[in-house]
Amino acid sequence: MSASSSSQAATTVTSVNDVSALFQNEKKYEELNIIGTGAYGTVYKARDLHNSGQIVAMKKVRVPLTEDGMPLSTVREIALLRQLEAHRHPNIVRLLDVCHGGQAMDREQLVLYLVFEHVEQDLDSYLSRAPGPLSQARIRCMSYDILSGIDFLHSHRIVHRDLKPHNLLVTSAGRVKVADFGLAKTYDTEMKLTSVVVTLWYRPPEVLLGVSYNTAVDVWSCACVLAQLHSRRALLPGAADTDQLHRIFRLIGRPPREQWPENVSVMIDSFPDYEPQDLADVIPGITPLALDLIKGMLVFEPSKRLTAMDCLEHPYFTEEPLM
Amino acid sequence: MPYWYYDKKDLQNTPSYREGIPNDTENRYRKEGARFIIDTGSKMDLGYNTVATGVVYFHRFYMFHSFRTFPRYITACCCLFLAGKVEETPKKCKDIIKVAKSLLTEQKFGTFGDDPKEEVMTLERILLQTIKFDLQVEHPYGYLLKYVKCLKGDKAKLQKMVQMAWTFVNDSLCTTLCLQWEPEVIAVALMFLAGKLSKFEVVDWNGRQPKHNAWWDMFVEDITMELLEDICHQVITELIGATRIGKIVSKINVGRSQCIKWIAL
Repeated sequence: MSASSSSQAATTVTSVNDVSALFQNEKKYEELNIIGTGAYGTVYKARDLHNSGQIVAMKKVRVPLTEDGMPLSTVREIALLRQLEAHRHPNIVRLLDVCHGGQAMDREQLVLYLVFEHVEQDLDSYLSRAPGPLSQARIRCMSYDILSGIDFLHSHRIVHRDLKPHNLLVTSAGRVKVADFGLAKTYDTEMKLTSVVVTLWYRPPEVLLGVSYNTAVDVWSCACVLAQLHSRRALLPGAADTDQLHRIFRLIGRPPREQWPENVSVMIDSFPDYEPQDLADVIPGITPLALDLIKGMLVFEPSKRLTAMDCLEHPYFTEEPLM
Repeated sequence: MPYWYYDKKDLQNTPSYREGIPNDTENRYRKEGARFIIDTGSKMDLGYNTVATGVVYFHRFYMFHSFRTFPRYITACCCLFLAGKVEETPKKCKDIIKVAKSLLTEQKFGTFGDDPKEEVMTLERILLQTIKFDLQVEHPYGYLLKYVKCLKGDKAKLQKMVQMAWTFVNDSLCTTLCLQWEPEVIAVALMFLAGKLSKFEVVDWNGRQPKHNAWWDMFVEDITMELLEDICHQVITELIGATRIGKIVSKINVGRSQCIKWIAL
């Protein structure tokens, strides 16, 4: 193309595509086995070959490329994840590296690898392996960890959207770290391509009803998880969207007509006029302050729910004695 | 997390140098690339943050690749393109290429290949990998504004000083300072330089404590006079190269001798 005679004659390469073939990453990670396959892709356990074989969790996400390359939303989300990492929040899983699959020539999609610290177990398996009920002190500590992580995300304007025991990692020291957040928009495009069943058990009513939502969704999900810490079983194990709503209203009561959102395809009259249940009966042995906290989180109207920050200041965490 | 700061030895032993490009030539390429990003950005009404982010990507990219392998102007375009997405001021790739074409000679634009857009797309993936997806970059501008709020003194003089420091930050983009020092440190140094050149001495500031010798001790620890002078020297050298020093001398109304003294730091 440019057989120039200037001093840079030797330096010009006719095409970046020519050189991209030469551009190959040396292998940095060795995949060991699949940890899990979710709606958003596959997570592998891997060895970091550049870092004395440290074990990491690699999440593989397929990003469909647009006419203008990497989608803006994905660029923004990864920038934000990287930025969050600078805070090294104790209740957020460490993001160690981001790289891509190297197929620089594939114009349709980019395979992204997000490399996270590897944590042995998630809250799901932790609870199922627990030999008996967790101690009140343990429950309170874990509840605080989860809410701290969520409050941190919210303070950076990140909504998790899919909080559940499976996404909460438990370290060997028993601390909880929030995982699997911050790529909601990137996931959305990928979700359309896969048909994996997503658990509904932790979904708030506004999501099930398909109305707009905000950070309050995570507080609802948190409440379901907190309840589960006490009882070691899911609070609202619905089988389908409608069933999930029935279970919610059976627990907190059907909301009054004026609270029912507009422009929703589901009619309020399709549900019986359930009376609220006493949460103390559903979660036996729960302490009064813990109960009060969870009640404040399981509120139908998102704007009336406690915020994550409110939760952290709740007497359950600030008042001393635990029986 | 990736670490993006290098000492002077690393800055001399770059991939380009290892492929036979002398340091002086590489510095010229860096300057031309940065200047091109600034010109393209301003022609497209992109803000100073987007432009500065693009320039930082550019400098980081060539710590891993050679100018021999990756021609500078197309890399510059790609850096600006990606910076636009990150700073939420996206521009279409084809529009950036159009502006680039208008700013470059035919020969230089030739390095973009037969299908410039496709080249930029491919390069975007290489760029992302090279900068390790570390996309959010901080710049000295915000720190200048933060610092000046705390300084006490004549408002107009402070204003003039910060404005001058701002233009020095713009000039610093053409140097490798962003590969040497954090934006906080660069902001302190260039505010210091602006103070000297506008003959404004900061004697008091809000939040002053007995242990503080200078206003910047409040913001950044362990800044030595040696370090400040080194940073100022790099920017002044850049200014001389850009033959803007004369303009600055007349604008700020300091004697040429004063300026020369500073250049000779």
